[in-house]
Amino acid sequence: MRLVLYNGSPRGRISNTAILLDHFIRGFKASEENSFELMYLNQVKSHQDFAEKFRNAQAAIIAFPLYGDSMPTIVKDFIETLGTKIDSGKTPMLPALGFIIQSGFPEAIHSRYIEKYCEKLALRLGTRYIGTVIRGGVEGIQIKPLFLNRRLFIAFSSLGRHFGVTKEFHPIITRKLAGRDKMSALGRFMFHILKMTGLADMYWKMNLKKHGAYNRRFDQPYKPAL
Amino acid sequence: MKIVILNGNPSTANKDLDHYLESLSRELAASGHSIQTVILRDKDIRYCTGCWTCWWKTPGVCVHKDDMPAIYSAIMASDLVLLATPVIMGFVSALLKRANERFIPLLHPYFAMREGEWHHRGRYTRYPAFGIIMAKGADTDDEDIAIITDIYRRQAVNFLTSLKLAFTTDLAVKETCDAISAL
Repeated sequence: MRLVLYNGSPRGRISNTAILLDHFIRGFKASEENSFELMYLNQVKSHQDFAEKFRNAQAAIIAFPLYGDSMPTIVKDFIETLGTKIDSGKTPMLPALGFIIQSGFPEAIHSRYIEKYCEKLALRLGTRYIGTVIRGGVEGIQIKPLFLNRRLFIAFSSLGRHFGVTKEFHPIITRKLAGRDKMSALGRFMFHILKMTGLADMYWKMNLKKHGAYNRRFDQPYKPAL
Repeated sequence: MKIVILNGNPSTANKDLDHYLESLSRELAASGHSIQTVILRDKDIRYCTGCWTCWWKTPGVCVHKDDMPAIYSAIMASDLVLLATPVIMGFVSALLKRANERFIPLLHPYFAMREGEWHHRGRYTRYPAFGIIMAKGADTDDEDIAIITDIYRRQAVNFLTSLKLAFTTDLAVKETCDAISAL
């Protein structure tokens, strides 16, 4: 299988999306006949070339972090470029198209709305929709010790291995990665405990202090004058 | 009411949306509203890079030195932000999206629970209401409009406000104006 992967994170090679894709690719490569090409959509000037590669692949995956409840602008830019290259339903041999969406929020609900768009996009382009993998709670994985990420990385590797054989996202792994759409009552209770103990915002507080900005954390630079 | 219109039409060739907004602005002004229109394609608006400078190095201030600070000031002083866009490939224009995701310095990184979900807390105590005006493309259908509306309704929740309007330019200018005036 010839797979093209698009990393839609503005952070590019140092992104959390890159880490998840790296583990996906490790699994995908387990089938020796598979080949892939990974492109970074933050290289906006290369979008025309990237769109050409889309037309010549057997499968394509666009992976991105959730930005403002949808895709980052660089991904929308690329979709608009694809739109100028592809005559919907008439361009032959388009690759099947899947998506991976990751976010910092723990619940999958945040990504469910753009998931609908992703499905419609495949239809609009006139190609087969593979599905969308959703994973929350990803911000911060780069500072977590490896043992806390181990299950996540194994899941992405297994997802890639299965995809490399079937050109499908494994439904059980996909469901487990997404987790709950909304917090349970216990989850909401735990949130309040985390807030009261300061643990919910620990990542942000740590970085505010690290950058000497903690005392200015509540600044309101654009507060209108009375 | 103070209204800021962010015109996300990237095209200088097809100005149908621009003409609609010009008519709407005249109607709104005649109804006593204060209107400020920002034509985003004429502005220097850089991509959000997800660097978090606005959250943990210079709280509330983006790392980019471009035209967004004036837009932030206008938004925060307004009662209603109208996001206007042609529908391209079933979604808002990349141009509007680029400005839109640069709203992030207006929020605070700390978490809060709203509607039973994790969101970020507000940096400010008051935010303007949101509205969206969409100009359909040749391939736009009702499902596209519903998808965009749902996503912007969620984005309004993120910004501790609500999406008060979601119209297409199929609606007559006068009716759009009346709906805004009725808010």
